[in-house]
Amino acid sequence: MLAYLAKKIVYTLLVTIGVASLIFALFNLIPGDPARMVLGQHTDSASVKAARTDLGLDLPVGIQYLKYMNDLSPISIHNPTNQASNIYLDKTIYGNTKPLIRINTNRVIVLKAPYLRRSYQSRQPVARIIAATLPNTFYLAIVSIAFATTLGIGMGVLSAVKKDSLLDKFFLVISAMGMALPSFFAAILIGWIFAIVFGNITGLNLTGNLWVIDDLGEGVHLQLKNIILPALTLGLRPLGVITQLTRSSLLETLSQDYIRTARAKGLKYSTMVIKHAIPNSLNPVVTSVSGWFASMMAGVIFIEYIFSWKGFGFVMVNALNSYDVPLVIGCVLTISIIFSIVNLIVDILYALLDPKVRLG
Amino acid sequence: MVLLLLVIACKPNRQNGNALVFRYNESKGITTLDPAYARNLALIWPVSQIFNGLVQLSDSLTIEPAIAKSWKISDDGLTYSFTLRNDVYFHDSQVFKGGIGRRVTAHDFVYSFNRILDPLTASTGLWVFNALDVDDPSYSKGCRALNDSTLELRLRKPFPPFLGLLSMPYCYVVPHEAVLYYGKDFGRNPVGTGPFYKKLWRDGEKLVLRRNPKYFECDSSGLRLPYIEGISITFIPDKQSEFLEFLNGKLDFLSGVHTASKDELLTRNGNLNPKYAGRLNMLTGPYLNTEYIGIIADSLLLKDRMSVLLDARVRKAIALGFDKTRMMLYLRNNLGFPANNGFVPTGLPGFGTPTYGVGFNPKLATELLAQAGFSNGVGLPEITVSTTDDYLDIFEYIQHQLGKLGIRLKIEVLPGAAYRDMLANGKLTVFRGSWIADYPDPENYMACFITSSFAPNGPNYIRYSNPLYDKLYDKAMLCSSYIDRLTYYRQMDSLLVSNAVVIPLYYDKIVRFVSTRIEGMTVNPMNFLELKNIKIKR
Repeated sequence: MLAYLAKKIVYTLLVTIGVASLIFALFNLIPGDPARMVLGQHTDSASVKAARTDLGLDLPVGIQYLKYMNDLSPISIHNPTNQASNIYLDKTIYGNTKPLIRINTNRVIVLKAPYLRRSYQSRQPVARIIAATLPNTFYLAIVSIAFATTLGIGMGVLSAVKKDSLLDKFFLVISAMGMALPSFFAAILIGWIFAIVFGNITGLNLTGNLWVIDDLGEGVHLQLKNIILPALTLGLRPLGVITQLTRSSLLETLSQDYIRTARAKGLKYSTMVIKHAIPNSLNPVVTSVSGWFASMMAGVIFIEYIFSWKGFGFVMVNALNSYDVPLVIGCVLTISIIFSIVNLIVDILYALLDPKVRLG
Repeated sequence: MVLLLLVIACKPNRQNGNALVFRYNESKGITTLDPAYARNLALIWPVSQIFNGLVQLSDSLTIEPAIAKSWKISDDGLTYSFTLRNDVYFHDSQVFKGGIGRRVTAHDFVYSFNRILDPLTASTGLWVFNALDVDDPSYSKGCRALNDSTLELRLRKPFPPFLGLLSMPYCYVVPHEAVLYYGKDFGRNPVGTGPFYKKLWRDGEKLVLRRNPKYFECDSSGLRLPYIEGISITFIPDKQSEFLEFLNGKLDFLSGVHTASKDELLTRNGNLNPKYAGRLNMLTGPYLNTEYIGIIADSLLLKDRMSVLLDARVRKAIALGFDKTRMMLYLRNNLGFPANNGFVPTGLPGFGTPTYGVGFNPKLATELLAQAGFSNGVGLPEITVSTTDDYLDIFEYIQHQLGKLGIRLKIEVLPGAAYRDMLANGKLTVFRGSWIADYPDPENYMACFITSSFAPNGPNYIRYSNPLYDKLYDKAMLCSSYIDRLTYYRQMDSLLVSNAVVIPLYYDKIVRFVSTRIEGMTVNPMNFLELKNIKIKR
């Protein structure tokens, strides 16, 4: 287990370095100048030069890359005599850093928290932006996947048990619709119906976050109801997938020899389904749920956009549009780390659910 | 689960329903409140509520006193002396002694202007002070405070629009204490002198500004401004959701019309849909923004030295070949004026009536094409025009109209960043461009095409170089009177359109929808949001 974990951590590190390098290279290859994106319609040479220096774009690309990787790495090399390099001493940027080895008077190796730099557009530390938005997307994903999983498994089980019944057909239609409906359309439709047309009855808002600031800025209030519509919309597609997967997987399990044996031995049908068939048919569902969860973290953009849910996906798309390189790299790195962690959890879950699976 | 959702949903919204708060949405988001980076309207609107400058613009674009109560310009047009009010205070903040805002002095302006000029600030408004004589040792980068209430600015050479330039947000006064204290985070913690101060800001959620009780301006009856308690700005990114929230009464103000809601809010002719009369007010007026087609017409700069675009007759045929009036009616519900004059838009004094512009004349276009050797477009190669996707409908219309004359147009849609980069580096021969006035003087438009503004150093993306044009510009800069300068501006403008290197498409229009509970909202050609004078009905 430990060896497996170590292997996974090394793998995650390599992916992180690879992803950061790839995005860095991409932004240098495709046309577009981040300095011009932070300027307005006036792009005289002095302004462009000042912006390039401010963003660190005046250096050769190779040096820019090495400096970025140095900032990103927990173990980095700095020059304590150079004001631009010894920012590792600034606790507001790196937190608690510790010089490990002093090579000579102007080279020191430092242990620090990875520094993702500041956004080109807002000049905010990238880590602060991600920390402020990631939890919102996470809550949204958790609530919607919980909604989709509980309802999806329930609908799938009922569909399989009552195969070819009217209920089965109804659930199949619902799940097909859930999968087919484009999320931006579903979001507008659901928002319009529940927040605008029946807004007075449901009491739901079209836009808003978990924490709502009043118009005078005097207080921040928890508004749990604001998660309902975005989570419902986000959960529609996984709901369809989970329902169908559960149904087909359970039907397959029910046709297995050991089920027939259990039935022949006189086990009650409901006990057999709940105790034997359902647990054994959940493996593909777990794979699907984990896959959906990871992609939800990355792909809730339409939902966040329409319901104005202050999440991570929206920040990333904005960063891409405005050529905000540090923010894009920060976001993609976060997603890749989330994917790695989710994969790790899924692997462990597999091992727990199916004794035939061994880690390593 | 359903029960739980219902219980959660039935909790009432905790909003200050009766508060006198003006609520609007900024779909583009707000990245900073530091005036040094106020480069677009999304930033200028909140920044101008928090800060003040020496002068300010009225709705009719005249320059009026703000922190400066009076000013004098030397006869040679080089020295500007400002006498400041002595009752202007910064907002209360922890950066000041005892947390109480101190009085604004001329030294604060010297600091603020020098800060913009410092390359380390990397202000997007560095260009604003290009006119200052930064080399005169008796001034600090062209500025000096003679005492607490007298500020003197020294120019390199006469620049008559300078006073208008000082109305820009880049020239707002900031306290050095706050800039030093917050460093790069000053934009998150602004301290100014304006009618509102920042109360709370949660990125991407809400920005709340509250009334500054010590604001220095009063109305004609001596009542201290502003009248309202605060401003609440949300950041709903989706225009459709923003529109629904506006209709739902959760926003007081909507600026511009999105394609999706255009036909719901407006009639074909651009008037307010009668079903909203009584609920909403619609305000419109000219906006100092010109949308145009730019053409590089210099054989030394074009890859194809034999390009048909070098022939002024072909360029003119393009300009004459499409009907701008119908274009505005069909595609913009008349929310814009067909650009039948020059590059300077309607809205600037002296440019209201078309005098030298190019209208729709397909007959003349056909004749010009024939004269150029391309009768009915035979033999004329395809012309590529580059744009971003938000103007695609306009270019599809032009493509269709020019197609009737035999001019084949190929539309190249580019992503914003690539478009800007290629434009600056001269890689686009025919392109869609726009220019929004920074300050209310035609010089701002005319300076776009002087030789020294060649891209990438300036906005002369068509690389237009005409000694006569440059000479007229220099002459205009020697006239202190607007009326005198107007003669030169008009000559320059007519040169641009007669050469058809710039084909103006339309002059923009401001359109604002305001809830009827708001009183006193106005529009001005700079599209500034003036909230200190509005009132809210309870």
